[in-house]
Amino acid sequence: MVDGRTLHFHLNGINNQNFIMRDEETGSWWQQVTGRAIFGPMKGKKLTLVPMDELSFALWKREHPAGRVLRPDPTVKEYESKDWEAHIAKLPLAIHARSKRLPDREIVVGVSLDGEDKAYPMSSVIAQSPVIDTVGRTKIVLLAADDGRSIRAFERGNVELFRNGDKLFDASGTEWDFGGKSAAGAQLRPVPLLKDYWFDWENYHPKTVVYARH
Amino acid sequence: MRWFTLFLLTLITLAVLAAPVFILHPFKEETLRGLTVAYALKRWGLLIDLLAIAAAIAVAMRLWSGRWWRKAALSFAVIVMIAASALARFNHFEKMFRPLPQPKYAAAPEAAFVDADDMVMTVAHGAEAAAYPIRQLAYHHIVQDVVGGLSLVVTY
Repeated sequence: MVDGRTLHFHLNGINNQNFIMRDEETGSWWQQVTGRAIFGPMKGKKLTLVPMDELSFALWKREHPAGRVLRPDPTVKEYESKDWEAHIAKLPLAIHARSKRLPDREIVVGVSLDGEDKAYPMSSVIAQSPVIDTVGRTKIVLLAADDGRSIRAFERGNVELFRNGDKLFDASGTEWDFGGKSAAGAQLRPVPLLKDYWFDWENYHPKTVVYARH
Repeated sequence: MRWFTLFLLTLITLAVLAAPVFILHPFKEETLRGLTVAYALKRWGLLIDLLAIAAAIAVAMRLWSGRWWRKAALSFAVIVMIAASALARFNHFEKMFRPLPQPKYAAAPEAAFVDADDMVMTVAHGAEAAAYPIRQLAYHHIVQDVVGGLSLVVTY
């Protein structure tokens, strides 16, 4: 929805392996990763990024037992296979990352706060969770769920989380969960994450910092 | 000279068709200039095609005489142009990845088509929560939905 108008989008093309969509109403072209209109009457306008998560189905179902799930379209004969990410990784690239800080196809979660962009390799977050860090002036924590594949980030204020076994605690010994909620009822504010390939993240965030454990 | 004009007009409609397909190729680097050309050709392509076809018909009528093969060649040029113009209106990306104009949903406990360890993209707003399995999104790329009153385009 832009300027009070609901737009309807179609897949329209590709720009360095990030796709372009076209809206039916004005014919403008929009870049997927930024949500920004790059050509047409809407040029310069931006779609609002809605808070979202990328989770394993089991985890989501536990949190939202009354939720609804998109059904497969019966006219599509074959959806992507379970290991489709491995196939994608073998496709040729149109562009390469400018810096060689990470491999092109490394999967990162990107955080943008206070004008700073930071990329966290997925594998580091999963291995080190909770990742305690600061982006811009905002203190954040990245958490990996017990499924070993879902990641969330929160503003942590002055809360210092650490792991004991597979549970999370703060300094006072209060337990926290993957939803950013404490046993005492406190709730951390979620930070939007963008899961992306390193080459694409760096292309749209050229000044990005890469997380290194400190 | 008239034959040459007809040839050029045919080339124009073929270029309007082929250039954006070539520029927006998935495994090739795109540049701002290329994208600008592709956008202009998609935006003004129909107008360019109609003008070129009208001009071609006018030229063909002037040349319409003599042996049958001459008339056949003229008709062929005009038919090629009309076909190119029709094809240029066609979105081949939506042929490769069929869109979902009427997405359907299942309640979470009944969704047997997703495995426990399959990844889903999820949105919760107001009292409503929706999940979009990545394996479906990786095909359709675009799903439009309204969650808790919020109009969304879900992309992957």
